[in-house]
Parts: sequence; C-alpha cells; structure tokens
Amino acid sequence: MDSETILVGVSILTTGLLLGAIFSLAASGVTIVYGSIWLPNASNGQFFLIAPLIAWLLVTSFGLSTPAAAGLALILAVPFSYFLEATLIRRFYDVPNRNIAYFMVTLGLTQVFAGLLNITFGQWSDQFSLPPVLGGISWIGPFPMQNNRLLVLCLAITLLVALFSLMRYHRFGRALRAVFQNREAAALRGVDVRAVYRTSFLLGTLMIFAAGLLYGMALSFDLTLAWNMAVTVFAIMIVGGPGSVLGAVVVGMMFGFTQAVVSAFATPTIASFAYLGAMLGVLLLKPDGLFTR
Amino acid sequence: MSRPWPLLAGSLALCIGLPLALAGAPFAAYIVTGAFLQLLFAAGMNLLSGYTGITPLSFAGITGISAYLCVGLVMRAGWSFWAAWPVATLVAAFVGVLLGLPALRLRGFYFVLSSLVVQTVLTLAFTAFASLTNGDTGISQIPPPSSPFVAGGTLGGTGLDLLIALVGWAGVVISWRLAGSGFGRRLVAVREDPELAETLGVDVVFCKLAAFFISSLYAAAGGPLMAVFVGFISPRSFDLLASLNIWLMVAFGGQGSIAGPLIGTLILAPLPSFLLGYYQVKDIIYGLLIITVTVAMPGGIHGWISNRMRPRLP
Repeated sequence: MDSETILVGVSILTTGLLLGAIFSLAASGVTIVYGSIWLPNASNGQFFLIAPLIAWLLVTSFGLSTPAAAGLALILAVPFSYFLEATLIRRFYDVPNRNIAYFMVTLGLTQVFAGLLNITFGQWSDQFSLPPVLGGISWIGPFPMQNNRLLVLCLAITLLVALFSLMRYHRFGRALRAVFQNREAAALRGVDVRAVYRTSFLLGTLMIFAAGLLYGMALSFDLTLAWNMAVTVFAIMIVGGPGSVLGAVVVGMMFGFTQAVVSAFATPTIASFAYLGAMLGVLLLKPDGLFTR
Repeated sequence: MSRPWPLLAGSLALCIGLPLALAGAPFAAYIVTGAFLQLLFAAGMNLLSGYTGITPLSFAGITGISAYLCVGLVMRAGWSFWAAWPVATLVAAFVGVLLGLPALRLRGFYFVLSSLVVQTVLTLAFTAFASLTNGDTGISQIPPPSSPFVAGGTLGGTGLDLLIALVGWAGVVISWRLAGSGFGRRLVAVREDPELAETLGVDVVFCKLAAFFISSLYAAAGGPLMAVFVGFISPRSFDLLASLNIWLMVAFGGQGSIAGPLIGTLILAPLPSFLLGYYQVKDIIYGLLIITVTVAMPGGIHGWISNRMRPRLP
C-alpha cells in the first residue's frame, strides 16, 4: 500500500470513530426519551444544531473561548428542556397513543425552529465553525490525528461511558429502565413515573446538546445539518430498537463509519439513501429494532 | 343530507363564477385558484387521515411524482397535456398504493414514521436524479396546456383557473359522496377498531388499499395542475413540509368531516400569498398552528363548533 491510501484509510477511520461517537450520543438521548415517555423527538436535529449555534454566537459576539461557550450552551439545555416539558410535553403524559401526537408536535416544533434559525443565523452566515480548542497533531502509533478531534473523541467516549454507568448503577438509571420495561409495575414498586419522565427528557436534551456541541467543536456546519441529523438519528433509533441505548451506540458507530466511507468516495446523499433504506427495512421486518430484548 | 341539489348547484355556480369574476384581477385569481388546488389535496388527505385514520406524510411526494412525470411527458416526449395528465395521475396513484403497503403491517406512529421516510427518499430522489428533474434548480417555463376548444391555442389565465376550480369542486363532492357511502362507513370502522371491523366482515386490507388508491389519485391529479398553474416545479414544492401543511389544513379545520378541511383550507391556503417574501414567517406560523391543533384542538375548528352546538343534557 502506498502512503496516500494509508492516509485516506486513517482519515476514514478517525472520522468514522468521531462521527460514530457523536451519532451514538445523540441517538442515545433520543432513544432514552422514546423509551420512557414514548416521545419520538422529530426536532432532535434542531436541538442538535441550536447548541453549537449558541456557542458560535457566544464566541463571535462576546469573545468567549470555545470551552466556556460550549459549557454555557450546555447549561442552557436545562431551562430549554424545562420550558418545553412544562408547556408541551407534560400535557400528553396520560394519553394512550401519545407517540403520534408527540410526533406531530415535534414536527411542528421543527418547522418553528427551522424558520427562526433561518431568519436569524441564516442571515448572519452560511457556514459556522468554532475555533479549535487544541492545535497540533498527535501520532497514535503510525497514525496522525488532530489533537482537537482527539479531544472531542475522548469527551464523546467519556460521556457515553458515563451514560452507561448511570443507566446501570445509579438509582435513576434503574428507575428509568424499570419504566422502559413496564410502567405500571414500576409505579407499583414505588417509582415516581412522572419524575422519571421529566428527568429523562432533560437527560435526553442534554445528550443531544452535548452531541451537537462536540460536532461543532470538531467540524464546520451549516443549517442543513439539522435535517440530516434528524433523519440519521431517527434511523439509528429505529434500527437499534427504540429504547435501547446499546442499540443506539452500536448502530450509531456503524452509521458513523458508513458516513465516513461514503463521503470519502461518493456524495453524502448515498449515505442518506442507505440510512433510510435500513430504517424502512427494519420497520417492515422487525419493527422493534435489532437490539430490543 | 336529504336534498343536496341546491347546495351542489350553488357551490358549482360559485366555482364557475369566482374565476370569471376575477378575470381582471390576476393576484386575487391566483390566490383563489391556489386555494382550489389545496382544496383538492385536503379532500384527498382527509379520506386517509380523517376517515381511515392513517396519516400519510408521503402525500406531497405522490403529487411530485405525478407532476414530474407529466411535465417530462409534455416537455421531453412531446405529449399533449390532456394525454399526459391522466397517465401521470394513474401511474402516481399506483405508486401511492405501493408506498401504502407498509400500512398493512405498521400501526400508528410506526406507519407515520415510515411514510416520513418514504417522503424523504422521494425528495432526495427528485434532487438526486438531476438528469430527469433538473435537481434543486427545478423545471421552469412549463408550457400551459393546449386549448381543448381552439386548435393551436393554449389554455391559460381564466381558462386554467376554471379547470382547477372545477377539479377542486369535483374532488370535494366525490369525497363527500364517498364518505356518506357504505365504503366510507367501512373506512371509519377500520379507523376505530380494525380487529372489530374484521370480525364484522369488513375486508380491512381491501379498504386500506382502496383508501390509499383514492387518496393518491387526489394527490396525483393535482400535481400536473400545480405544475402548469405555477409554471415551475422543484423538489421543494413536494417535500415533507408540503405534506405536513396539507395535513395541517385538514387537521386545523377538523379531520373526518367534509366541512372541516374546507374551513381549514379556506383559512390557511391564502396565507402564504400575503406573506410573499417572508416564507420563513409562514413556516413559523404553520409550525405553531400544528402544535396548537395537536395540543389544544384535536377536533379542529369543525369539531370545536359542533361541540358547542350539540345540545347539552341538563
């Protein structure tokens, strides 16, 4: 193999890892919310985009450093999620077939956010990027990787590990999994189901915001990112199985590598076709997804 | 309704009179004709979404298939519009039935999601196969149909407005007759409880497929009309937002009634024309309305009014 092939291969590998970790993070957030509240968040792409846009605004207008701006944007997820929960999400907690109503509401939200972002950020710039936190290149064995991307990758993996530990070992994680499996039984065993709903929506929003911020720290982006992410994340959730964090991570990694390989050799549209095809196939053949028990 | 004839004749007279009266006012005529086109779409969407209880977010995609096919047949193959229109409509309606097949297996949210996937794939396809569709740029300068009365003439302006008004009127009337028929009541039975309907002898599979075929006919018949009326089509005209907005007109007015979509369309269809140049504001308003309808008024305006007028027990 000549050096050029190796370089392309390495860049696919690192981009795939990076995208895979970010996809997994966002999809875990969406799948947790669906598993507990039955809320298929169609506007997850807008959430994903709003986070780095806020950080970009803080950096360009107020001169904050990227880590400070990202931290502030992440904190803003708390009032943002609380507001949505109190005004919209809470109303449907007791409706039996609420996932359709939620789907329509979040599709409406998507339209509102898309319009708002178009008349604000869309007027200010075509392309957005956050200044890199770290400069330089590290050599992992014989493979070069930008320090900045390495940092983002480490952060993403740390967050995923933290999420897994939360779900497995913490009281809240156990309550959440109990609600996934059986709402009534969980309530009978003393789980406050509504509190779990509220917290899981907050957790999901935080995960999507974090994923969006990591994406913005590693790559440049524009407003079309929202829709592409929404489609990708939904496809990951459905293929992995709604409510399955493991499924979201495994399929997210697979889709990340697919995206990296496809964008190296062809137009990204083909990747979208592949995701959508996979989603339709799983919907028709095994609607519960590949990783549900 | 026991004696529908006065209402039918009156509405028909209105549909003929309005375009003629507005012949000298192009902007008003444009708004009115656009509303008639939306009326056709809303009536088709209502048959599936309101009466059968299946929300097809791939609706505008079917319209797109028919529009692109018809424009291709006219502009590339040199067909007459009058031959291309029915052919494109039938082909797109059959495609609509194929795309509706997942509804036989998937319930509720899962079908809505699969139809969203189908819609997204169609929009991507309209963009990706640029050799056929001219990609994101779209196809402009679509010629008006030839006149059926004058040799060598074209059907433009008021003539075309009349055609679209009549098609819209026929669409609403047919959907009204269908909804009142035994078939319409079987659709409602399928919506309310498919298992129960099956045990009562309703052929659920046939009903769903027939509803998809008829609804797709509506979506498809409007596509070529929209193309010659606007003179321009692009993937944006047939994307998810277009489907959602048609659903909104039906749900805002009141699903599962004939008056509901009429009310919803008459209120919402003219809105974009008053917000020309501010189409993002339109997106925000429509988005807020979708949320409001879902959260606060599941029966739409029609449901709200008929709730008010229903005599209450003391």
